[in-house]
Amino acid sequence: MLSWIVFLPLVGVLLCAVLPKSQAHLAKWIALATTAADLVLAGIMIASFDAASAAMQFVTDVDWVPQAGIRYALGVDGMSAPLVALSALLTMLAVLASWKVDKKPAFYFAMLLLLQVGMNGVFAALDFVLFYVFWELVLVPMYFLIAQWGGPRREYAAIKFFLYTLLGSVFMLIGIIALRLQLGTFSLTELAGLGAKLPSEVQWWLFAAFFLGFAVKVPVFPLHTWLPDAHVEAPTAGSVLLAGVLLKMGTYGFLRVSLPVLPEGFASWQFAIAVIAVFSIVYGAAVSFAQTDVKKLVAYSSVSHMGFAMLGIASGTAAGLNGAMAVNISHGLTTGMLFLMIGMVYDRTHTRQIADLSGLANQVPVIAGLMAFASFASMGLPGLSGFVGEFLSLLGAWQSTGVAAWLVIVGVLGVLFGAAYMLWMLQRVVMGQPSHIVADQPDANLREIVTVAPLVALIVVIGLNWDALLRFTDPAMTALAKLVGG
Amino acid sequence: MIMNWVALIPALPALSFVVLLPLSRAMRKRLLWLPPSAMAASAALSLAAFVRTWPGGHHEEPVWSIAWALGHVGGRPLELGLALDPVAAATLVVVTIVATCVQIYSLGYMHRDEREGWYFAVLSLFTAAMLALVLSDNLLLTFAMWEMMGLCSYLLIGFWYELEGPRKASQKAFLTTRVGDLGFLVALFAIWANAGTFELAEVLHGAGEWAPGAALVVSLGLLWAAMGKSAQIPLHVWLPDAMAGPTPASALIHAATMVAAGVFVVARTLPIFEHAPGVLTAMMVVGAATALAAGLMAAVQHDIKKVLAYSTVSQLGLMFVALGAGSAVAALFHLTTHAFFKSLLFLGAGVIIHAAHTQDMREMGGLARHMPVTTATFTIGSLALAGVFPLAGFFSKDEIVTVLLHEHHYVTVGFVLLASGLTAFYVTRLWFRVFSGPEQAEELHEAHRSMLGPMTLLAAITLVAGFAGPTYAEFLGHEGKWPEVTVALISTLVAAVGIGAGWWFYGGRSKVVNTRVWKQRLGYFYDALVQKLYFDLTYDTLFIKGYFRASEGASAFDAHVVDGVVNGAGTAWVATANGAHAFDQGVVDGAVNGVADASKGIGGLFRRLQTGRLQNYQRLVVGAVVVLMLIVIVSRGA
Repeated sequence: MLSWIVFLPLVGVLLCAVLPKSQAHLAKWIALATTAADLVLAGIMIASFDAASAAMQFVTDVDWVPQAGIRYALGVDGMSAPLVALSALLTMLAVLASWKVDKKPAFYFAMLLLLQVGMNGVFAALDFVLFYVFWELVLVPMYFLIAQWGGPRREYAAIKFFLYTLLGSVFMLIGIIALRLQLGTFSLTELAGLGAKLPSEVQWWLFAAFFLGFAVKVPVFPLHTWLPDAHVEAPTAGSVLLAGVLLKMGTYGFLRVSLPVLPEGFASWQFAIAVIAVFSIVYGAAVSFAQTDVKKLVAYSSVSHMGFAMLGIASGTAAGLNGAMAVNISHGLTTGMLFLMIGMVYDRTHTRQIADLSGLANQVPVIAGLMAFASFASMGLPGLSGFVGEFLSLLGAWQSTGVAAWLVIVGVLGVLFGAAYMLWMLQRVVMGQPSHIVADQPDANLREIVTVAPLVALIVVIGLNWDALLRFTDPAMTALAKLVGG
Repeated sequence: MIMNWVALIPALPALSFVVLLPLSRAMRKRLLWLPPSAMAASAALSLAAFVRTWPGGHHEEPVWSIAWALGHVGGRPLELGLALDPVAAATLVVVTIVATCVQIYSLGYMHRDEREGWYFAVLSLFTAAMLALVLSDNLLLTFAMWEMMGLCSYLLIGFWYELEGPRKASQKAFLTTRVGDLGFLVALFAIWANAGTFELAEVLHGAGEWAPGAALVVSLGLLWAAMGKSAQIPLHVWLPDAMAGPTPASALIHAATMVAAGVFVVARTLPIFEHAPGVLTAMMVVGAATALAAGLMAAVQHDIKKVLAYSTVSQLGLMFVALGAGSAVAALFHLTTHAFFKSLLFLGAGVIIHAAHTQDMREMGGLARHMPVTTATFTIGSLALAGVFPLAGFFSKDEIVTVLLHEHHYVTVGFVLLASGLTAFYVTRLWFRVFSGPEQAEELHEAHRSMLGPMTLLAAITLVAGFAGPTYAEFLGHEGKWPEVTVALISTLVAAVGIGAGWWFYGGRSKVVNTRVWKQRLGYFYDALVQKLYFDLTYDTLFIKGYFRASEGASAFDAHVVDGVVNGAGTAWVATANGAHAFDQGVVDGAVNGVADASKGIGGLFRRLQTGRLQNYQRLVVGAVVVLMLIVIVSRGA
């Protein structure tokens, strides 16, 4: 089952590869069919998932490189299943959002599908080497998506993205090798029990190595500057998947590896992570406020949002860890949607400069309404998904003995600053009289509405019924919280 | 189970929103009968709920309650719940009656606006949130509804978003109240950490056994949040600006209900405050200062809606004073009477603004001769606000004074009486400027019946509601008393002085006092009042401009310093990579020839890129993986 979910997109990649040049326009249909089938599979998996259990499900475990003890092991628990589903959904929406791509479409959609293999794989892998392979696999298609279909500074942004993440993963690789040498296994599930036996100074060093690997991806201050460049230059689909899924690989790494494998390492790093998280929240929001490019504004907002996830992780409590998961999913939905909306505006006006845009509400009310909706979801309005993660992360941090109360209070300020940059953006872009660039533009078409409709639905459903998400994550997060003593 | 229809009270207006939201403008216009009908049905159900709660009194158990799990955290359910008790039942009636009046009135008031349907949708959502807040017996749900109301308030203040004023005012309102909401969030965290639940009754019950300081944190947080929502100094600045929204929306949201939600939530959680007496004192100080300062600012405004807005701030201050003195009943009763007469005044102001085509009172006059119903109802509202017997405001204000005397807060009594005198003064000033004197507009005529009807109903309630005071107190489970004669006499005297002063300055066409002389005599003090006591100026310079600067500084820091380091490292790395390239070819390649061959395909792809740097990386990674494999294999063999 999981193998199918992970590797089904590869079928699409192959089909795109053998597609004759004259038929290249069919690539998008291949991609849509593949991602839709993948989403159906992911849906079946979610529907048949036993949410009450904290154990791994849909497990496949066979030898891969027996000489090195590397196994082909896949499986999901309540932590990874929602992320696999998110990745499946967002990739399909990214295909829909790319319907108008006509530059080398076969290559483009093949890269999108290959990206999905990597993303699904990271969340499904239970073997550390396999995890690493998928982790690195993600870089290649995303690199091409930015470098080939990006904006004016795409090459700089693509290389920066590639090198930055690669630099982080080198440290992760060192950590993987060290763990293997110390504990004799690559199995993530086995490591979660064994790692605690390591002496605390070893845990400290290993935690530092993994921290670099994962924190670049999240990203946290000061390792974040690849993100705005990558986002601004990437095509819409690239931004959606970058923000929606790729960043979650970082927080997922913390939840899957750093915390369960190195609980003592976590304990000694806890306060530092909380400080970095809170700083990222406030700093990301403040920098976001000053941006003149809408896409860059949303990109920096990701630094702030992911800061909430990191604060939840730093808390080590069930509430905080669930909060981190909720931020993961919700940020994928809301920021993914914001990038889709910005893409729609850009397709029409060919600008993302806030100064050029004005009065969307009067000219294109549907686009404006959806944009405002996504903004309010993103700024954590109760009743929409953004609130769940923000609230639980902060709540968990307040409960946690490892995170000082004053840090939480500074983090709470992020709720205010988050509203500030969003409202300030809405005031200039959505409200007002339509600017001449906006005037006479058509409103959202059916394809565009269909693209964002599932996101709207999920944002509302999760916001009104937290259990729609928490019933998956809570058993796993409760177990993890016990492990790290939260 | 039998009484689950109570849940329909908030659900019906919410349904109006859900139905109207996806429709086009034209379709919404055809369904305009729906929101007022749903609202009226909700009012009928509220009355039924009130009857079922009768005769009220003090009970531990609510008449009806329902709870459901929002989610599970750490295996424990995070519950939300609604409950019907006397406080909720009484407030439901107030909110639904005012909301129904406002909706019917809006049919006439808004009918020329092409986005009328959107207005009704948001107004309905707002009312649903307010009703759910009233019924909520869970502080997390209360907070969620609190925020939902904030959103609706934002959308309605910014209803005419093409214009600069509403656009800025909506943002200011949202952000200023959110400054307050941070306190609510911290209070929620502290409650969860100490009580492990958000269920109101349990929270209040256990508050005595919390960790030291916890009650202080919670009550400070809640007070701060309430000060934001109920526009108390220093967070009051958003409310006068909020008048940029449609007037009936101001009547409902910024006079009768949402701004009263701060008072309502504090009244609900007052037992927590009793464990932090210092916070109660602070609340009284804030309320008294706000009542007086806002009354002073109201007295110098020329915009009719802003006079009413500052008046609302001032009256809410009186409710805070009552809460600070520990009397939820006095605060809630004033909340109730104020909701009726202030929404009446706002609806009247809407009619006046339509007729006079201006909000500036200096350009109004002589309306009494042309608009008899408006004049009569507005006069009733004005007298109630001034605290004249036997109107509603008289009784509720006296109850606050009585409580203060009983608790020996004599200084505060002085503040309250001063504020009351000012109230009588500025409302008289308003009345004479609008209704007497020469006409300044042509073709003045009375408003449509659909607008006058709701105003008449509210005026009728204002006439009699005061007499319900003792019954109201008993319904809430407290001793019901009539105002003492001495208190009544003092406050009547204060009102008479205020009205007399207002009449002396602004009454009578023949002997209008030249106010300029008086303004000059007041000098700096008058200037300070006109400048809104410099609050906006201070915030603008200190916080808003400061944040702009900080954010631009952070942005520049990010681009030049943080990213500068990255780019510098990148440049340095290129130099190293060139060196590594040599190393790569000489040493690593030799060892990993096989693997390198396999990677040639991918390497070829990379070569097409303009830069050769990636190629180096590719090989380095492949090399690293191979080294890893070797180590692993060797270590296993060993």
